[in-house]
Amino acid sequence: MRTTLWPQAFRIRVTRALALLTVILSALAAPAHADRLDLIQKRGSLIVGVKSDYPPFGMLDADGKLVGFEADLAHDIAEKMGLALDLRSVTSANRLQKLEDGAVDLIVATLGDTQQRRQIATLIEPNYYASGVNILTRKDSGITQWSDLRGRKVCATQGALYNKAMAQRYLLDLQVFNGTRDTKLALRDGRCVGYMYDDTSIANDLLQPEWQDYGMPLASAMISPWAIAIARAEKGGRLETMLGNIVADWHRSGRLIALEAKAKLPPSDFLAKANTLWNAKEVDGQPVCQRLPSGAWPVQCRNKALLSSTDVGGLYGLSLMIREKTGFNITLLHDHYDQRLFLTGLLTTLEMVLVCIVGSVAIGFAGAALMRVRNPVVRGLTVTIATFARMTPPLLQIYVVFFGIGSYVVTRYGWSFDGFVVAAAALSLYAGASNAFSIATALKLAAPTHGGNPRHYRTEVFRLAYVPVMAASVNVVKATGMASTIAVPELIYASTGILAEQGNADVMINLLMLVYFLIVLAVVRLFSLAERRIMGSAVPVGSDGAIEAEGQKS
Amino acid sequence: MSFDAILHTLVTWTPYLAEGFVWNILVSLVSMIVGTVIGGGLALLRLSPRRILVRFSLGVTEVCRNIPTFVFLFYLAYIIPVEIVYDGGVFSFPAWLKAALALSVAVVGFVSDNLSVALREWRAGHVMSALLFIPNWTSYLLIIIMASSTASVIGVGEIVSRCNTVIAAVGNNDLMLWIYLYAMLWFFLFSFPLTVLMNTIKARMQKRAV
Repeated sequence: MRTTLWPQAFRIRVTRALALLTVILSALAAPAHADRLDLIQKRGSLIVGVKSDYPPFGMLDADGKLVGFEADLAHDIAEKMGLALDLRSVTSANRLQKLEDGAVDLIVATLGDTQQRRQIATLIEPNYYASGVNILTRKDSGITQWSDLRGRKVCATQGALYNKAMAQRYLLDLQVFNGTRDTKLALRDGRCVGYMYDDTSIANDLLQPEWQDYGMPLASAMISPWAIAIARAEKGGRLETMLGNIVADWHRSGRLIALEAKAKLPPSDFLAKANTLWNAKEVDGQPVCQRLPSGAWPVQCRNKALLSSTDVGGLYGLSLMIREKTGFNITLLHDHYDQRLFLTGLLTTLEMVLVCIVGSVAIGFAGAALMRVRNPVVRGLTVTIATFARMTPPLLQIYVVFFGIGSYVVTRYGWSFDGFVVAAAALSLYAGASNAFSIATALKLAAPTHGGNPRHYRTEVFRLAYVPVMAASVNVVKATGMASTIAVPELIYASTGILAEQGNADVMINLLMLVYFLIVLAVVRLFSLAERRIMGSAVPVGSDGAIEAEGQKS
Repeated sequence: MSFDAILHTLVTWTPYLAEGFVWNILVSLVSMIVGTVIGGGLALLRLSPRRILVRFSLGVTEVCRNIPTFVFLFYLAYIIPVEIVYDGGVFSFPAWLKAALALSVAVVGFVSDNLSVALREWRAGHVMSALLFIPNWTSYLLIIIMASSTASVIGVGEIVSRCNTVIAAVGNNDLMLWIYLYAMLWFFLFSFPLTVLMNTIKARMQKRAV
C-alpha cells in the first residue's frame, strides 16, 4: 500500500481552510448587506422613483399625483410582486443618487442605457423603451428621410448631446438656439425647415393644438434605449433577475405597446421590434430569448451598443475588440443588415456601371448614325439634343426627369418612375451625346482611308473613336454615384446610410472611396484589355489619351 | 399652374438663382486655380530628367484621373471637420471650399496631362501648339462648371440647391420641372457661346500651328 505524501490530518485541515476562504471570498464579492428584496418584502411596499416633469412619461395630475407611462409601469411591477406602491418624484440630476442612498428601490425615469451609467448603477436588461432624435416639421414639408435634410437649415437646442453627431452624419446646417422655446419660435418663423429634438418630447408637442400643422415624419435616429435601474450593489441579485423577467414579460405580452398607446405616444419602432424578438422561437420551438445557464440573456436579445468583446465570440467579438482597441467601428464584419445593405449597394453600382457604359456607347452609335442621315431635320434635331445634353449638368438632367416630369406623370397618371432607370437613362444620354460626336467624327475621318476594305474601315473607326469613347465611359462610371441623389440604393446611398446609423463615418467613407476607386480602375483596365484584343496592338492607354478626349469634349 | 404664373415665379426668383450661379462659377474657378497650380507642378516633374520624379508624377496623375469626384465630394464633406481649431483660433471650413477641393482633383489630372504636352511643344519651339493649352483649359473650366452643380448635395448654396429651396418655398410640385429646366438654361447659355468661341480660337490656332 502506497502512503500519501501528506498525512491525512493535514489534508483535512487544508480542505477546511479552503472552504473557509471560499466563504470569506464570496461574502466579499456580494457585499455584506441584506438582500434588498428581503427588505422590500418585509416593508411590504415598493418605492419607485419616476419623473414629474416629463410628460407623458412622468407628470403630476390635477390632484398632484404622479401619473404617466412610467408611473403605469411602476404600478405593474408592484402588482406583479404583490406589493403596495410608493411613488416618489426624481429628477435627471438626482435619480442615480437616490438609488445609491437607498431612498428608492428602483427608478423608472427616462434613464438612457449607457456604458458609463452601468458603472454606477445596475441597469435592468432588457430595455423597456427607447428614445431617439427626430424632427418637428410642417406636414407639407415633403421631408421623408434624413438625407432630405442634407445641407438644409435645421434648428436645434444648445447643449443637446446629439447635435454634433447628427450634423456630421447628415451634413445638416444646424441653427443652434438657446432653450427649447427659442428654438420652437425659430421654427415658427421659418428660419429652418425643422426642429431637431428628442422624439419623445416632440411626440408630446404634437398633442398640443398649436402644432397641429406639424408632424414628425422621419424614423428616429440615434436610438438610445431606456433602462429601469436599481442600486449598483444589487448587481447579480434576485431583484435584478425578477425585474428583468418582468420587463421580458412586458415585451412578450405587448403590455408596453398597450401602455404606450394609453399615454397617446405614437407607436415606437423599438417596441414593435422588441415584441417580435421576444416572441421569436427557435426551430425546435424554444423561445430565442430565454435566460442562459449563466443567468444572462442571449446576445441577440441584448442592447448591441453595450456589448463588449468579452460577451461574444467569433467575428463579432473580433470586430468589437477592434473597436475597443482602435476606435474603428467596422460593423460590416458582423452586422448582417449592414452587410446586406452594402452588398446591395455594390451590386447596384456595378449594374449601373454596366448599363451606363453599354447605354452610352449604343446612344453614341445611334446618334452618330442619325447625324449622317440625308434628312436635315433629323440631323439638326440630333445635333441640337446632343449639344444640349452635353452642355447641361447631368445632375439637373436626372432631376428634370425624376422630379420634374415624374411629378407631372404621377399626379396625372399615377405612375411613378423607377430611380435606377431614370439615372441610368440620364447618365447614358449625357455620355452618349459626347460619344455621338466622337463616333461621327471618326466615321467621317475614316471614310476616305478604307479603300473598299470594310474590315480596315472598321478598325480605323475603332482606332479613332476609341480614346474619346473610353474617356466618356470612365467619366460616366465616376458619375454613377449621382443616382444616390434620387435614392437609388447604390454604394454611396448604402454607405451614407450605414454611417448615419452607426456613426462610423471614418470607416465607411474610406471604404466607399476605396471601393469606388477600384471600380474605376477596373473599368480602365478592362478597356485597355479590350483595346489590345481588338487592335492587336499594345497602345499604352491612360497617360494622355483620357484627357485628350476631355479636351475634345469641348 | 398657368404659363403666366410660372413665368412670373421664375422672374421673381431670378436674382436669387443668379446669385447661386455666381457660386457655381466661384467654386469652379477656385478648383481650377488649385488644380492648375498642383497639376502644373506635376507637369514640370514629368519633364524632369530624373526617372523617379517622372514616375512619381505619373503615379499621382493616374490616381487623380481615376478618383470619382462625386464620391470624393462626400469624402471631404465627412472627413474634414466643419471647424478646425488651430493655434488657439477656430477656423471654419465651408462646404463650398470642400466642393472646390473635390473638383480640383480632376483638374490636377487634366492640367498634368495637357500642360506637360504643351510644355514639350513649347520647348520644341512650337509656340502656337503650346498655346492650345489656353482654349483647352477654358473648355475644361466649362466641364467643371457643369460638375459644380453636384456641390448641392453637400449643401453648397449654388444654383441647383437654390432651385430646391425655391421649390420648397413656393410649395408647388408642378413648378419643379420648369425651375430645373430654367437652371439648365443658365448652364447652357453660359457654356454654349464660350464653347463656340473656344472652338473657333482653337481651329485658328491649329491652322497657324501647322
